[in-house]
Amino acid sequence: MLSQPTTDKILLAIADDLNAVIAPAIADEQAKVLLGQAEQLLRRLSRRSASEIAWMVEEITEIEDVLGGGKTRSREESLHLEDVAKRYSEASQALGNAIDEAFEVGDEQRLGELKQVLSARIAREQEILGQLDLVGRG
Amino acid sequence: MQRGVKHSTSVHVMQNPKEMPEKIIALLEASGASDIFVDGYEPMTGGYSRLMARFEASFTIDGATESGTYVLRGDPPEGTALIETDRTQEFEVLQAVDPHLNTPSARFLDGDGSHIGTPALVLDFTPAESTLPWIAENGVTSLPEKLADLAGAIHTIPVDCLPASLHRPLSGDPLTDQIAMWKNTAHTHVEALPIFHYVASWLDTHRPPPVPVSLVHHDFSTANMLVDEKGNLVIIDFELASVGDPREDLGYFKAYAQAAPPDIIDEDPETFLNRYRELTGFNEDQVNPSVLIYFLVLGVIGVVSQLSATGSAMARGVSSSTNIAFSLDGLLFGQAAWMAATEALEAALDGEE
Repeated sequence: MLSQPTTDKILLAIADDLNAVIAPAIADEQAKVLLGQAEQLLRRLSRRSASEIAWMVEEITEIEDVLGGGKTRSREESLHLEDVAKRYSEASQALGNAIDEAFEVGDEQRLGELKQVLSARIAREQEILGQLDLVGRG
Repeated sequence: MQRGVKHSTSVHVMQNPKEMPEKIIALLEASGASDIFVDGYEPMTGGYSRLMARFEASFTIDGATESGTYVLRGDPPEGTALIETDRTQEFEVLQAVDPHLNTPSARFLDGDGSHIGTPALVLDFTPAESTLPWIAENGVTSLPEKLADLAGAIHTIPVDCLPASLHRPLSGDPLTDQIAMWKNTAHTHVEALPIFHYVASWLDTHRPPPVPVSLVHHDFSTANMLVDEKGNLVIIDFELASVGDPREDLGYFKAYAQAAPPDIIDEDPETFLNRYRELTGFNEDQVNPSVLIYFLVLGVIGVVSQLSATGSAMARGVSSSTNIAFSLDGLLFGQAAWMAATEALEAALDGEE
């Protein structure tokens, strides 16, 4: 495969062309809205594609560290997106269950530790999101 | 392309100005109108969830002749809807609230889509301006009180005037139901959402004093408001309405305003809250700035659960549209806003101690 330019750069180039070349040529209002949504999505997908597997793998480790009982990772563990997303969801479920338990017993210190993981997740989500423009609404 | 997945940009249904007048005439005829003339059919933008178009028409109904501009509001193609709602129920709600609110009247219903080609309703067209452009031109000063008037009007409609089909709290307590919806969304989404676990438990441990249930719009935002020639707010789009805690609308308004400012309430919170309390009879323990922060989180779950469901359906390959993928980004925005709100309320409560 050709790895360069990387996926994020190609997506960004498409978004730029949609904005600079295609958008001015479109008169239909609904198509303009759709194009505005597509352009924003492509910019977010560009940021996401550059790092999402690494981010999920890192966060799985962070969750396992805070929950304890972290497992030794196999070298053969798949890095295909679908497989990493599945492991990420499993770790997220364990984190959610731990949050439920901490609230049930009123363990403020534990909640604080778990919330730090959530805060790190939110910081990355905001990096992906960038500026949200509710194009076409209202 | 996966077999069975409906691929569409939602731009194709209800978009043919040559075919649509004939379909509208068929609907009006079936509804008892005669001498019908339809012209000037034109698709509209402005909403994400349903397809909209405006048209000119004249007709005779119940012995009276009328003419004017009307709005057709219909469901997008199967598998592409951002949220699943019922046009028949929306029509019934609009008819029930019509005597109480500044909202376009619902005129005709095609509940099964047999005439229009998709479930749809026809509304009177309101010659009013979208709220955000109006604010850009006229400023926001007059709107906190107008917003309180509108919210108060919605939340004081007698519940027994509302359609029996409208969803009521199953547990008898709207907060319990909404918190359960947060938990259920965390469990049913296509991937685990630990932030939803946190929010649900946090909401359960910070409940404000209760108020009587009322009609709740559930998408109470500037996107669903217009400003008429008198400077009054017009409310539209009752597709998500149900019976619940009226403060959900106030919280939802603030949540939406974070993504699409300005927050009209924050422009003059004292005026807004005083007027709203005056109209509803709620006291300062029931409605205050801290309670609004609580409902900023709780009040979004109706829309959030719908976005979660359609996003999950897209992930599973049973639906697909750019609109669905785009709207899921609202969850990214929301997660940060909800967590910030929980911290703001905890800080406010710590300050009171």
